[in-house]
Amino acid sequence: MKKVKLNRRTMLRGLLGGTAIAIGLPVLEIFLNQSGTAYAEGDALPKRFGIFFWGNGMLPDRWVPAGSGPTWDPSPTLAPLAEVKDKITVVSGMKVYTGNTVPHFSGAAGILSGAPPIDNDTKLETFTAPTIDQQIAAVVGQDTRFRSLEVAVEPGGRSLSYNGLHSNNPPESSPAAFFKRVFVDGFVMPGSMPEPDPRLPLRQSILDGVMEDAQALQGVLGSRDKARLEQHLDGIRSLEKQIEKLQQNPPSLAACAVPAKPLDAYPDVDGRPPLSEISRAMVDILVMALACDQTRVFSDWFSNSVGNPLYPTATAGHHQLTHDEPGAQPQVHGILLYILNEFAYLVKALQSVPEGSGTLLDHCAILATSDCSYGKSHSVEEYPILIAGGCNGALKTGMHYRSPSSENTSKVLLTLTRAMGLTLDSYGKDAGLVTSSLTAIEV
Amino acid sequence: MRSRDAHRWMAPIAVSLAMSLAACGGNDPQPPKVDSLGPRPEMPEVAAQTGAQRLTIPQYRNAIRDLFGESIVVPTALEPDAPIAGFEAIGASVSTVSSSGVERYEQAAFAIAKQVTADPALFASVVPCTPKGANDLDCAKKTVTALGRRVYRRPLQTGEVDKLSGVLIQAAGTLGGFDKGLEFAIAAMLQSPHFLYRPQVGEPDPNNPGHRRYTSLEMASRLSFFLWNSIPDKELLAAAEAGELNDDAGLDVQVMRMIESDRARQGLRAFITEYLRLDELDALSKDPTLFTYFSPEVGPAAREETLLGFEHLVFELDGDYRDIFLTRRTFVNPKLASMYAIPAPTDEGFGEVELPSNSPRIGLLGQISVLALNAHPTSTSSTLRGRFVRQDLLCDDIPPPPVNVNTGLPDADPNARTLRERMKKHLTDPTCSSCHLLMDPIGLGLENFDGIGRYRKKDNDVEIDASGEIDGVSFTDARGLATVVHDNGKLAPCFVRKMYEYATAFEHTEEERAVVNALTYDFRASGHRVKSLMMSIATSPAFRLAQKP
Repeated sequence: MKKVKLNRRTMLRGLLGGTAIAIGLPVLEIFLNQSGTAYAEGDALPKRFGIFFWGNGMLPDRWVPAGSGPTWDPSPTLAPLAEVKDKITVVSGMKVYTGNTVPHFSGAAGILSGAPPIDNDTKLETFTAPTIDQQIAAVVGQDTRFRSLEVAVEPGGRSLSYNGLHSNNPPESSPAAFFKRVFVDGFVMPGSMPEPDPRLPLRQSILDGVMEDAQALQGVLGSRDKARLEQHLDGIRSLEKQIEKLQQNPPSLAACAVPAKPLDAYPDVDGRPPLSEISRAMVDILVMALACDQTRVFSDWFSNSVGNPLYPTATAGHHQLTHDEPGAQPQVHGILLYILNEFAYLVKALQSVPEGSGTLLDHCAILATSDCSYGKSHSVEEYPILIAGGCNGALKTGMHYRSPSSENTSKVLLTLTRAMGLTLDSYGKDAGLVTSSLTAIEV
Repeated sequence: MRSRDAHRWMAPIAVSLAMSLAACGGNDPQPPKVDSLGPRPEMPEVAAQTGAQRLTIPQYRNAIRDLFGESIVVPTALEPDAPIAGFEAIGASVSTVSSSGVERYEQAAFAIAKQVTADPALFASVVPCTPKGANDLDCAKKTVTALGRRVYRRPLQTGEVDKLSGVLIQAAGTLGGFDKGLEFAIAAMLQSPHFLYRPQVGEPDPNNPGHRRYTSLEMASRLSFFLWNSIPDKELLAAAEAGELNDDAGLDVQVMRMIESDRARQGLRAFITEYLRLDELDALSKDPTLFTYFSPEVGPAAREETLLGFEHLVFELDGDYRDIFLTRRTFVNPKLASMYAIPAPTDEGFGEVELPSNSPRIGLLGQISVLALNAHPTSTSSTLRGRFVRQDLLCDDIPPPPVNVNTGLPDADPNARTLRERMKKHLTDPTCSSCHLLMDPIGLGLENFDGIGRYRKKDNDVEIDASGEIDGVSFTDARGLATVVHDNGKLAPCFVRKMYEYATAFEHTEEERAVVNALTYDFRASGHRVKSLMMSIATSPAFRLAQKP
């Protein structure tokens, strides 16, 4: 059987925001074992990165766990994670420093990109820097069929995954379409021999022509459009990579299996979207997309920033409740429990996949967060941050790190990129810039 | 251009154009005398911003339909549009396509190409020769030359013909059949940035040294996407190739023709849909246990009602834009009729009705679309409704809510049962009131309509007080609100600004403010005729002059 040729040159191509990203050795150690049928054991298993995001923040009083370090008890909101507590690190007491000028949007930009969004004056709301998932995908996404995968659970959901200015990665919000994309259209079961398909080289030759057209246009258009076409070219290169992958026989991966086909549609029940059912269908596909090494980077947009979905039993939309529900906000709390339950489902699903001597979860770093902390006032202090998975032993798990001094949330981002093998000296822009990581949670 | 065309931008011409367009509409009241508006502000010769806009999903669909016919099914999963500053058209100027979007373009291209090549009639409509076998290069060249011109909205260059016919022959040879080759050639064109984007770079204007203008072919696309939301038709493309769109008279002829053609209805609908965010009605989320009249068909029906109303006003009546706020005529299907508690005009589909003169509901602000969109899933919202009027209809800026303040609204309790009573805090606490005073007193005027737009007299068993004010002008109920909005001096400039931004696909700059002012003068002089405004924008220097790329 032919070995997959890992292309290191393409991995070094990652250039983002004009800064070259140095690449750490661990990422390069993705080798096959002698027979070419499985990944080598242990550390050489690929690392995966994911974002789990929900809108409208949390209730700080019920979020922050008691105790710190390895001895802590899940708070009322984090109760759904009790079973997987050992695989989670809670980071509390951190603050977004990139400003808080646009409610919900500023916090999201800060925690996901370490940079302020474009100021509201122009009304052209957008992130000014790529989000962490895309920075990581630029490096670790080069050798999989999909550079990254984005899904949304809330119907009509949006993503906050950005490649840069006005360069958003919209999520797939239909489980059926997502399933088709990953496991039907051109999926080749690892370890099997793909049928030679004469259409594949023809498709590539079309893409070559499209690429020439885009490059020719770049020559006559203004700088903004040049950059926009460059993103388009990146997309074409990704597609070419996919087609190239379809012509190779991928290595066998023991845990890879085609997940169950989701329902064609998930209609509202009593006017409420069945978020849990949609979420689980998405997670089941996502987890196998990772286990089958179709991608190593994903983002799961559980609910929109400022999202107002009607949760089961809630008397109003989520966003409206965070502002209008009086008192201790029991309904908002109920919604957060619902969301954390679904996050727990994701974590457990990753843990259920054996990989090497551990589980898929051990080879992941998943950042779970929101667009603000206290939803009622759009605060960005006491930010909600959870990290699941040990990232091949790069991250400590099972602990609560309580920041003593409202540290910059960008430190978490620097830690995560380093855990994933990127050797950045700093992370973030302006007040979000940090040069040191959160060493307390690093191994 | 300056000396020869100096007269062109002066009001009398604009008015006479407006009248000639208005004449098609029948016996409508004549526009006001220009004198009463004061002197016309100078129309500056500034170029609007530009860029290579990517086709929005509706534009892509319309283009495919215009290229290949109604029967083609375009896959639903194209890259979603990204509205910016309220308009997908503006998002299309600055946003990029994602990797998954590129994948989707490829899938759509092949799905469309397969349908075209599988249907003998469509095949014949695209291939102007009889291919003599799979490797008929001559026929391949003829085919891509003819089709490519329409797909790229300009004649192809020789190199492009060679490349696309090469794709055709290569695929035809590999897969054994000219039709297979055609499939790949079509798929190649539909993935090309020449189709997916509208590259506009302009050329030096020979009549106006130092200025640039859009080429005649670029103007064809600018006009057709603005007025039709689709690609140029054969006549427009031919006029463009003959250079007629750089000529004042030639441009006027085409713009008039376009505005009077049926496709202009589709163009107006596209603008109104974006402007009022009507596409959000398709997935409207309301609690059906609270709103028993609500069902998933309500949103799309409400959207259609509003669109039919605008279409009727603009094309049947050629009426005053402001009338949309005071009209009692509307278009409903049986479901909407039951929600309005009036007899259904037809057993199925939409029919025209006139609301009774004592109806509390009048004009656009009485329509379910606006009322339901600007409300919460379980309740009304004076803030959202007020914001809609203030921001979208009057173009006033409202700052975002401050952070780190409690934005909660108290629950209904025995002392504060109505929304007005619960909102009191918003309006008395100085941190909140500076902004909420801009919105809530407007939105409270619509409290007689619940979260899905049904009429109600009481909120929590208390009689609703629907009085309020805008900019110091008070009203007592929704009918009064409609009149105050109708009379507000900011209404017309705001509408002009929105359509100008939609047409140019950019937010207007400080420099372009003067363009909007001059266009507003002409709009008023025309009696607020929307067709006249379309004409003014399409022929204005800002729309024709190009910036250096």
